[in-house]
Amino acid sequence: MSERYRKVAYYPGCALEGTGHAYDRSTRAVGKKLGLDLVEVRNWNCCGAMEVKNIDPKLQTYLSSRVMSIAAQEMGMDTVMAPCNGCYHNLKKAEYDLANDAASRDVVDRLSQKAGHATYRAGSLTTIHALDWIKEALGEDGIRLRTTRPLAGLKVANYYGCMYTRPRHIFPEKDKGEGSESTAAPHFMDDILAAAGAEIVDYPLKTACCGGAHTLSDSDTSTKLVLNLLETAEECGADVIATECPTCHSGLEMHQVRAEKRFGRKTRVAMMYFTQLLGVALGIGPRRLGIHENISDALEVLRAKGLR
Amino acid sequence: MPIHEKSLIRPENLVTHENLEIDGVNVSGHWSTFIESRAVTDYNEAMEEEIGALPGGEFIHRCWQCGSCTNSCTVNAINPDFNPRYWIYLTRLGMESELLRDKDIIWQCVSCNKCTYACPRDVNPEGVMKALSHWLELKGHTPTSPSMHFDEEFAEQVFDTGRIEEGRIIRGFFARTGQPLLQDWLVEMGKRLLRHLPLKMLAVMGLGSVIRPRTRGWAGARAAIAQYVTERRAADRRALGLGGERK
Repeated sequence: MSERYRKVAYYPGCALEGTGHAYDRSTRAVGKKLGLDLVEVRNWNCCGAMEVKNIDPKLQTYLSSRVMSIAAQEMGMDTVMAPCNGCYHNLKKAEYDLANDAASRDVVDRLSQKAGHATYRAGSLTTIHALDWIKEALGEDGIRLRTTRPLAGLKVANYYGCMYTRPRHIFPEKDKGEGSESTAAPHFMDDILAAAGAEIVDYPLKTACCGGAHTLSDSDTSTKLVLNLLETAEECGADVIATECPTCHSGLEMHQVRAEKRFGRKTRVAMMYFTQLLGVALGIGPRRLGIHENISDALEVLRAKGLR
Repeated sequence: MPIHEKSLIRPENLVTHENLEIDGVNVSGHWSTFIESRAVTDYNEAMEEEIGALPGGEFIHRCWQCGSCTNSCTVNAINPDFNPRYWIYLTRLGMESELLRDKDIIWQCVSCNKCTYACPRDVNPEGVMKALSHWLELKGHTPTSPSMHFDEEFAEQVFDTGRIEEGRIIRGFFARTGQPLLQDWLVEMGKRLLRHLPLKMLAVMGLGSVIRPRTRGWAGARAAIAQYVTERRAADRRALGLGGERK
């Protein structure tokens, strides 16, 4: 087990206190089981998500920078981990903009001073995703060693969505060859869940879009996009789609129901956060992982596979 | 998936005559269809500059029309009329009336960033789509889109308290757009959620809807953001040659 990431700042974000509650629970449960210390960012605020970026990109940069300023300057942490793709993406984007764009630096400096907190300085914090956290802290061998209930016979399609890999320039550590994550064909979740014993199916839509940005404002488009993801996963033989973003996860679950109600297209594949699947393999009980909070019947899938 | 480009000949510009004789030759009927001239006379020469002045549109001038954006586009795959390359082309030429033919779908960009990933010129086409949507609304060509209603509901909550609460967003959005909250699929989702009695989750979400989650000591940030938003809105309107405040 690597010492790096043994103790990191934890930025759950708004969704993990609402519809993504199970992601928060399972992330904390896995961290506890593995002896990885998560120190929640004190008095955090929303990263700005896609919506504030649409109103004004520099405001989103400011909101994300405040979170980073607390983690780095107030708490003295060197790494912040965000399980939500949206938060992770926005912190990365803020880091990039503050390092490369003088106009963004000016706005953030001005707003931070007026708001009365330290201005975040680019380079003082490393932002990682929950996938980086597990992959680096434990590694595949570490996971194999700690797996007490291998996910044998469970066919998993890994779904990464958009914000984890795009656009490329805000993820300078990716695409660096062996051991690094790929933006074109991400594989960290595949690696982690394969080490936990799952059978990974070849899923061609791992970075396709679920339409999360317009999940309510243009629901028919989102339902069409999600239905394509679900039906393709079933064609690939998957029992479960593993997710690593609360917006993707709830979008997939929401539009699975909507496709059934509005388009008469029923799919049976279940959605589970990768932390829930990993938690099962590590021997954590399903309720502590919040699997009963999922809208698709993930508990039933586990039961059918003899995993609970 | 092939790229279906728009036909350059529009159905309404195709003319057939029931009875027409030209220089003693009868050219009636479908065998001799005429195509009406479509010379463009109403260029908006400021259009590229206007889009370039709005957030997201800054790099539109870099485009060399390779079409990687449209080729990779998520929305184009389900609606061939959704064509970022073509809209960037029209904007750079100032063909405003042509762009307005697609004004009601431009806001449907899902921000998946596949275009921005594929673009060899760092145009940031996703940002250009947002700038175009803002431009259409600021100029009064389109009403506030459902997407903008959602963004405003969301952003106002963040600006106000530093955080959002999803239930409040959903209720606020449906109220703004005049839709009933009790959609059949939302009701069905609720039923399925209750199947395994997720008490802890219900408690957390219920508490959030009663006591709004908020960041402590947010007043300073709230004031700073409000001032910045006012400045930005005025700057956007100036860039588009518009007076006064947005309604």
